[in-house]
Amino acid sequence: MASAHLDVPFDRDGSARFLPWLIGFMVYLAALSLVSALAMNKILDRWDSGLAGQLTLQIPPSQPTEPLDRRERRLDRAIEILTSTAGVTGAVVLDPADMNKLLVPWLGEGALEEDLPLPDLIAVQLDPSAPPDLEELQFRLAEAVPGIESDGHQAYLARLLSLTRSIQIGAAVVVLLVGLSAVLAVVFVTNTGLSIHRHVIEVLHMIGAHDDYVAQQFQRYAFKLGLRGGFLGLVLAVPTVLLVGRQFDASDVTLLPNLALSPVDWAAVALLPLIAAVIAMMTARFTVLRTLVQLL
Amino acid sequence: MVRFEDAGFRYGSGPFVFQDATFHLEPGSFHFVLGASGAGKSSLLKLMYLALSPTLGRVSLFGRSVSELTRNELANMRRRIGVIFQDFRLLDHLSAMENVALPLRVSGQHDERVQQHVIELLAWVGLAEQLQALPPTLSGGEQQRVAIARAVIGRPSLLIADEPTGNVDDRIAVRLLYLFEELNKMGTTVVIATHNEGLAARFAQPILRLQDGQVRYVAPGYRRSFSLARGSGS
Repeated sequence: MASAHLDVPFDRDGSARFLPWLIGFMVYLAALSLVSALAMNKILDRWDSGLAGQLTLQIPPSQPTEPLDRRERRLDRAIEILTSTAGVTGAVVLDPADMNKLLVPWLGEGALEEDLPLPDLIAVQLDPSAPPDLEELQFRLAEAVPGIESDGHQAYLARLLSLTRSIQIGAAVVVLLVGLSAVLAVVFVTNTGLSIHRHVIEVLHMIGAHDDYVAQQFQRYAFKLGLRGGFLGLVLAVPTVLLVGRQFDASDVTLLPNLALSPVDWAAVALLPLIAAVIAMMTARFTVLRTLVQLL
Repeated sequence: MVRFEDAGFRYGSGPFVFQDATFHLEPGSFHFVLGASGAGKSSLLKLMYLALSPTLGRVSLFGRSVSELTRNELANMRRRIGVIFQDFRLLDHLSAMENVALPLRVSGQHDERVQQHVIELLAWVGLAEQLQALPPTLSGGEQQRVAIARAVIGRPSLLIADEPTGNVDDRIAVRLLYLFEELNKMGTTVVIATHNEGLAARFAQPILRLQDGQVRYVAPGYRRSFSLARGSGS
């Protein structure tokens, strides 16, 4: 006795043939969106951990040909204040030669010293767990070293945060819209199935089947199609993610993160077919239960 | 068992198929429903097996008014009713065994128990060799026996057959009716609709006659019918 098979002959109508493909595309897009969201999180974490707890101080030369000893005195005053401030864990004056190296690709060799007087820079490390009162620190520095400017990177981080959040919201909207399309497709396929197999459903009702029994027939079928489509989407998504990840790695752009997913990330991606199948199943169930009341 | 009180039925806003039907079928009784083609026999039976609701009046089964039942209660009540449809309504994609097992499956009975009952019953109706056959590969008579087996597998309290002899010759028709009599002797209430008056006349059973939109009762042995419009018993 084949209890595993379905009483409704779904395999005899072609109304649901396209559903696995549609769900496959949904899972494909959802996987890419999920990976994008995870990548954005990584970017945020990286920038946040890289920039949080840091302060950059900039002391511009008062005139292009300012003597070196005057500049050093101002640097010493700033360092003195910094090292005596609680919550400051380090302060390093950036070597002008290193700054020159960074600017050479843009400005060219030899054009720096004479034409572009660079400011002195101090990279300050703050204790993230007990940071100093930045406002008060900046006030003290400005009093001791006129013209000193500080950049806590907060505004920069806020803009990046806003950008990445926008991208994440965009990805979520894509998933939502594609998911909604898939839900509508399942509703359509289920209603078509109810119409095509009405005679079978009538017989099931006449022999005492509850609505729940009929709904189970449809939801099991929808789950099977959803799972099939979901795996199809996953099979397409995995090589895409790996390929894009490889492109990121090969791009050598330091701002872009490494797209290597953690096991937890992969587990989240691998769950997508199951989630799609459950959504298809529940949609079919509610559609059948709602329609049967009107139909019979 | 089955009680109609001033019941009437019509499809949509069309003319009434029948009106003012009042009768009571006692548990363990056997009734024929007679009438010309189109007289409303099938509609009357559909009210009995809960495929339709009365437009007027009240229909009660097993002591409960069907209009007051929830969908789940209706389904539970249908499990106590075996129906043999005129067109059998077997599911073509299921084997004879699976078709017969369907009522037990939908009521959630275990597979092994279902299988045992089904094999016994199909052997009883002479289809022991056709367990795995699909309905389209069976003859009309064989399909009818599968339909009968499906109707009785759940040991229903009420067995309703709509023109069960319509597709078979008189010899097999008489055998079928004897089979229904046997089931009736085992306590099943039987209602059979037929247009074959001669066949019904061979059995001394009461008759519900549908004529001119009225349901009339004919007691066993009486040739003359009288109206059951008000308060008559079975």
